[in-house]
Amino acid sequence: MPIDYLPILVFFVVAGLFGVIALTVPALLGPHRPSSTKLETYESGKIPYGDAWRKVPVHYFKVSMLFILFDLEVIFFYPWAVLFRRLKLFGLIEMGVFILILLVGYIYVWKKGALEWE
Amino acid sequence: MNNPTIEKLKTQFPDAVQDVSEFRGDAVVTLSRETLLDAARFLRDDPDLQYNLLVDLTSVDRRDLGIEPRFATVYELYSIPKNHRVRLKVPLPWDDATEMPECPSVTEVWPAANWHEREAYDLMGIEFAGHPWLRRILMPDNWVGHPLRKDYPLGGEPVYFTADREDPRFAHLGRQTMEGPSYPSELPEGVDSETHLVINMGPQHPATHGVLRLAVELEGERIVSANPDIGYLHSGFEKTGENRRYEKFIPYTDRMDYLAGMNNNLAYVLTVEKLLGVEVPPRAQYIRVILAELQRIASHLFWLATHAHDVSGTIHSLLMYCLRERERILDIFEMFCGARLTTTGMSVGGLRRDIPGAFPDAVRAFVRDFRGYLKEYEAMLTDNPIWLSRLKGIGVLKADDAIALGVTGPMLRAAGISFDLRKAQPYSSYDHFDFDIPTATESDSYARYLVRLREMEQSLRIVEQAINRLPGGPVRTDDRKVAPPPREEIDRSMESLIHHFKLYTEGYKPPVGEVYGMAENPKGVLGFYLVSDGSAIPYRLRVRGPSFVNLQATNLLAQGHLLSDLVTLIGSIDIVLGEVDR
Amino acid sequence: MDAIVLWLTSLFPQMAVPTARLIVHIVYAAILSFVAPVVLVVAFTYMERKVIARIQDRVGPNRAGPLGMLQGFADAIKMLTKEDITPAGADRIVYNLAPGLAVIGVVLVFAVLPVAPGVIGTDLSIGILYVVAVGGIGTMAVLMAGWSSNNKYALLSAFRVVAQLVAYEIPMVIAIIIVVLTAGSMRMGDIIAAQNVPFLFTLPVAFFIFFVANIAEIGRSPFDLLEAESEIIAGFHVEYSGMKFAFFFIGEYMHLFVSAGIATTLFLGGWRGPGASEASILGALLGFVYFLAKTVLLIFAMMWVRGTFPRFRIDHLLDFGWKFLVPVGLLTLVAVALVLKLPFLSSPVLQWVGLLVANVAVIVVALAAVSLAARRTRSVALRSVAGAER
Repeated sequence: MPIDYLPILVFFVVAGLFGVIALTVPALLGPHRPSSTKLETYESGKIPYGDAWRKVPVHYFKVSMLFILFDLEVIFFYPWAVLFRRLKLFGLIEMGVFILILLVGYIYVWKKGALEWE
Repeated sequence: MNNPTIEKLKTQFPDAVQDVSEFRGDAVVTLSRETLLDAARFLRDDPDLQYNLLVDLTSVDRRDLGIEPRFATVYELYSIPKNHRVRLKVPLPWDDATEMPECPSVTEVWPAANWHEREAYDLMGIEFAGHPWLRRILMPDNWVGHPLRKDYPLGGEPVYFTADREDPRFAHLGRQTMEGPSYPSELPEGVDSETHLVINMGPQHPATHGVLRLAVELEGERIVSANPDIGYLHSGFEKTGENRRYEKFIPYTDRMDYLAGMNNNLAYVLTVEKLLGVEVPPRAQYIRVILAELQRIASHLFWLATHAHDVSGTIHSLLMYCLRERERILDIFEMFCGARLTTTGMSVGGLRRDIPGAFPDAVRAFVRDFRGYLKEYEAMLTDNPIWLSRLKGIGVLKADDAIALGVTGPMLRAAGISFDLRKAQPYSSYDHFDFDIPTATESDSYARYLVRLREMEQSLRIVEQAINRLPGGPVRTDDRKVAPPPREEIDRSMESLIHHFKLYTEGYKPPVGEVYGMAENPKGVLGFYLVSDGSAIPYRLRVRGPSFVNLQATNLLAQGHLLSDLVTLIGSIDIVLGEVDR
Repeated sequence: MDAIVLWLTSLFPQMAVPTARLIVHIVYAAILSFVAPVVLVVAFTYMERKVIARIQDRVGPNRAGPLGMLQGFADAIKMLTKEDITPAGADRIVYNLAPGLAVIGVVLVFAVLPVAPGVIGTDLSIGILYVVAVGGIGTMAVLMAGWSSNNKYALLSAFRVVAQLVAYEIPMVIAIIIVVLTAGSMRMGDIIAAQNVPFLFTLPVAFFIFFVANIAEIGRSPFDLLEAESEIIAGFHVEYSGMKFAFFFIGEYMHLFVSAGIATTLFLGGWRGPGASEASILGALLGFVYFLAKTVLLIFAMMWVRGTFPRFRIDHLLDFGWKFLVPVGLLTLVAVALVLKLPFLSSPVLQWVGLLVANVAVIVVALAAVSLAARRTRSVALRSVAGAER
């Protein structure tokens, strides 16, 4: 029921309120003496070589793509799991087929080396 | 003099060998600058000589000795397979027209020369032709002058910090050194800061053991190169030593590798004793061995503590456990000399005083307890899957590379080379004791971990033997020119009183000459090069710190590994910045 | 909670039930988002320091107040009065938003956490799915903080966070599915009700997977790569100061409590215990005590792990998640589904035994597979896990 979600909205608003208050009050309480050295990016006390916002090779890019796929497929389990006791044998076989397909894909990507770090 | 090395050199390069001398068993060959490279290659490759380890490379400014030409470079060579050593000296003809005297670089023969030559360039102002990247190494890039030259002014230069810029009290100071905003340091050649991420790891970084800076070139998390930048803790103690009497430099040795004060003391006093030609009574030698081996255990414990802490990150419990045991060793030191960390525990000619009565029992109790604790540490780490996965196969340094880079100590032994000066060239009666040199063949971080653990066991064995077989007798040489007489004797003998007075007002004066002394420190070979001009103050005092040399291997070790492994690597090299930055 | 609503409406007869309900919710939310952060952070930082100190043969905080118990408050005051710095190169909006989000994300999970009989923000029919969904907000906050700081260490940390989430979200979800399968509902109340025997004893493998994945989700040792101070200094919060810095810690410790609470609910029977019931105030209080005790026990276990294990390396971490936890999780899922459908396991007791046997079988199969794989690969860690190293 949508009304069940009202407390979550309440939580969100109240927690947001806490965030705003707790972050602004100390900002006013504390001293405020910025200097160019203080506001420099901290990199072990040296001037950084160039910006951090740049193109960086992400080694686990393939893995993260796979994650999205697997996460979506795994979500399909939830309704099944909830209704499992009512589904009789059909549910079991049906899911067995689904897991089998999932497993085939999983073994395929493993063998292809997509789960390796590089 | 019949030294096979010198004979061979003379026959091979008849014109090049200008002079041959020997002092206290150290052979010195003076070579001409032009033949240096050929001679170096010959010395390294000749099957009878095999001088594969460049122990040290340094330079001497001989202005006050009145020798022409003014500058000379000095190469201390050692052959691990043949166990012999020789020193080369290359005078550098120089006219004032050129800015610096020039010397050919030996980096292609011994890659270990790289940092040594940079140091000589930085501190002595010698140009090394053919050096891959000749930059200042210890002093700031914009420093003026070369501090180790004899005409460099002592003191009087204003030191000026940015914080004082507006302070009227400092208005009289110059504004030359720290003016303007700080700038990014120059990157070594080949480092690509455009396509790769270049990160400054250090000097303010928790895992760089002080103020080491690594310019890490990253591709994602994979290391392309990691170039150490040192000198943040440079205190110039070679220069200090050249302006102190021999005895007064001992406290400075405590502060080099401050985790191995006793070992540093030992190496230094041995070198000075070699220069003086003094014999040390056996009791003093045994006590020195006990102290040095306890210090070795303490140093390895500190290494284990910080290594486990770095690798595991947050709060691995081993840190506290190791430090707890180390405290007991420091307690023993305190019992002996009153100090814990910077001990100044030894003096030239023996020891300042004998061990107190409770000392042997304290040492025995420690040896007994520590055996058990060592097993506990092993239980925590040796077979721990995560520990294994973090250390095995990380930072492989093969024996050939290690020797070429001058790497010594546990790092070399983990590569399968059983080289330990305590066995190879025993000093301070190490040959009286029965112990093994632990080695491993994998040459990775895990092998280095195992070697250091086993070394602690061997040190325990040595300590145990020494304390049980401790001979009686004096702990100081009876050469009154070197060591002060006992207090009672001063009351009885006028001669003793004069000796005492002379020693404390003038110090001892070694004969003119030069010696090189080496000893096996926890981290590798610690070398001292002393040149005496006959006064009570060393004319040239050179320190070869094992950490300094071993650190050169960082880039080679790190390439291709992940950023996380860099922490493992720095830990497994085991550096102390006091020694690296000198 | 319904009891309080009832009490309010009877106290003020003119008040409508929805209004009373709203008031109760607002008060409850206010308690959880204003009081809980302070109490939890102070309590658990103190506990953590003391526990780790014990493990390491130290004393821990002992200066502020009796036994150092006021240390947390002292730290809080310090944080409050520190200068608030936004580095010159940072993306101001995202940079300032991230710490707030870190706390909000966790507080939102509180909404479905049954802390005592009848005391729950809202018992959603998809409660546990909601937990998984909202759990992503914290990761989002870390990612935002790491990216907006314009600091390379923070950036590396942000990448690691994503990798870690990617590797451990799936095993965690699978572990939850196993619980849902056995309980037959995603509603927190139903899951607790289904645990006449806590799932810890019937589904130990699922508990193990959930526990490990949970530590990874919070980013605590040995999975603390995102703030590995010996490598990337402090990671994503390296540029933060004062209260904004503190917010990440508040977020972390609340996350610690919440995830231990969820684990308690899913595997330790939540607030259940002798005498705990919704019927009386005393029963509810007793339930709260049980819940707290179980949660603190789990937190203690996490602290123990933290004091003992070295840190994973990023690629080992991914391997462990993808190549060990995921297949073991799927295997357990199949085994549990099969056992639940076996016709001759009609009575609950038989079913519990069956589940336990299935779990043990999965452990045996997994270990056999690991040792088989270890013989073929050169991975030292794998070999030593399987005992083939010696």
